[in-house]
Amino acid sequence: MEQRASPWRIAVNASAVAILIFLILPSLIIIPISFGNANEIVFPPEGFSLILFRRFFNEPGWVESAWLSFRVALWATAIAVCLGVPAAYALARGRFPGKRVIALFLLSPIMIPHVVIALALFVYFFQIHLSDGMLRLICAHVVATLPFVIVTSHAGIRNIDPVLEQAATVMGAPRVLVLRRVTIPLLYPSIISGALFAFLISFDEIVISWFISKAGYTPLPVKMFSSIKWEVSPVLASISTMLTILSVVIAVIVVLILRKQSDREGAGRS
Amino acid sequence: MTTKTSDNASEVMVELRDVSKHYGSVIAVRETSVNILKGEFLTLLGPSGSGKTTLLNVIAGMLSPTTGEVFIEGRNVTSVPAHKRGLGMVFQNYALMPHMTVYENIAFPLQIRKMRKKDIEQRVSEVLELVRLPNLADRKPRELSGGQQQRVSIARCIVYNPSLILMDEPLGALDKKLREQMQLEIKRIHVESGITVMYVTHDQEEALNMSDRVMLLNEGNVEQLGTPNELYVNPVSEFAADFIGQSTLLDAEIVEGGETSVVGLGSLGKCRVVIQDPRVGARGKLLLRPEALHIVPRGETPEGHNALHGRVVDSLVTGGTVKHFVTLENGDDVAVQELTNITMTSFSAAEMVQIIWPIEAGLFLDR
Repeated sequence: MEQRASPWRIAVNASAVAILIFLILPSLIIIPISFGNANEIVFPPEGFSLILFRRFFNEPGWVESAWLSFRVALWATAIAVCLGVPAAYALARGRFPGKRVIALFLLSPIMIPHVVIALALFVYFFQIHLSDGMLRLICAHVVATLPFVIVTSHAGIRNIDPVLEQAATVMGAPRVLVLRRVTIPLLYPSIISGALFAFLISFDEIVISWFISKAGYTPLPVKMFSSIKWEVSPVLASISTMLTILSVVIAVIVVLILRKQSDREGAGRS
Repeated sequence: MTTKTSDNASEVMVELRDVSKHYGSVIAVRETSVNILKGEFLTLLGPSGSGKTTLLNVIAGMLSPTTGEVFIEGRNVTSVPAHKRGLGMVFQNYALMPHMTVYENIAFPLQIRKMRKKDIEQRVSEVLELVRLPNLADRKPRELSGGQQQRVSIARCIVYNPSLILMDEPLGALDKKLREQMQLEIKRIHVESGITVMYVTHDQEEALNMSDRVMLLNEGNVEQLGTPNELYVNPVSEFAADFIGQSTLLDAEIVEGGETSVVGLGSLGKCRVVIQDPRVGARGKLLLRPEALHIVPRGETPEGHNALHGRVVDSLVTGGTVKHFVTLENGDDVAVQELTNITMTSFSAAEMVQIIWPIEAGLFLDR
């Protein structure tokens, strides 16, 4: 699209680009560093090698932590989806007293500072004698990720015309079949993008994990943070690069899913 | 009203017994009792908020009535859930499943009924033939026009042979020309299949065109139930007269009873009307349909006719008919419709004329 460039427009575009660079540069700077071969973090890197990535996989602890984070994220996501999607359905379609209060309660982990949640969970887990390191992480991460699953699937359900479910019911489909053949297939994009966000948040979570993780159950972000306190290991750069790539890939998938969905709906409204 | 279903269960498709629906203090439908016959095309007609969609949803099982009972083919279904009532329903916005192709949409109710795959294929192609869309089976609904989508939704409905189809303003989203075409299509499918249809619309023309009987609703009440002809010729109330067809309603009061009663029209004078059981002093409206009226130059009133004086405001030739708009002496406007005719006298605007009608063509409405 050709558009006449007014000075105002140029200024707006330039400042937008500047802010974008400001936001993205710290992440990008890490990437070349991770391909350096120094024993400490330097920029610009001297030469190119994969030695830092090799160190990540060879040094004890890193892969174990990554694997732990992965499993925790997977479990937390699965549980958050199983709890969050039905809750979102009830909030979107149901008519019952106290709906707003319940919605506010379910979304509260977004609004309450993570430190507060972390401390609360620490005390709570102590009181109920929950001492399994893995279970503690999974439960805590469900709390942190649930609101995101609820928000995305709630928006998805609001987009589904209730008349579709009505039509399926009148033509003879019992409730379960309506959910299986109509509601859930239409909700897939929202469920998947909610799940991906949940996974990413859990994989990335540090504040709560720091409070409640136990010896032998150190998730990757916690291990990174504790390692930086003793020595600024350049291995961190390689991990950051991999995390950045993971985030970008997930974000792109979510965008693609949501775009496909809006295309479908846009064309559906004739 | 019948009290036993067994008496006429063989001909009655749906029976509503004292059905009402309240939302808190708001009454959506007042106690209604009605029988819908098998094979009938019955239209629920009324302005928005008159309770027609509520009534349809009560029959479909999407709403449970506050009072009363619903019988379908003699079976009390009041507490039977919607998916076990075996009905078909067509919605205004088609309600096609966007994630399914046309074929899958139509096959869906058959899959619910666990029909064999081969039978489903055959049945779907039969129905696509019936709605004249044989080549679109693999398309997604969004790739179809509004009219095509509505045909698919009708196909999805008739594919499992429900004995009753409910249609909730199915043509409301289509433009006028397509709407008229689809009216004929639906009528054809109704005649060919013999299915009972309950049809909701707020369009009186659509209701008169398609229905065997029309149920006119107003603010949750059944105003009148009858054939389109009965509703047009013999409206029971001012509301019915006004809602169906074009009409002139003049304030009227019965002055003198008799074989033909004398009705006073205020400053317009008096006229004669045939009234059953006239009560002298009763007030109401005199209904005059445009095609019952004639315009003649001032002079003698022909035998057996009434006359009112007025002034021609405008005349519109609309093909086969001419519409004259006349303002009466008291300021009321009257529409007169006459056949276009070469020998017809033309009237210039502002010309003083008299409007005449046969005594039996006027109708006195006291509510």
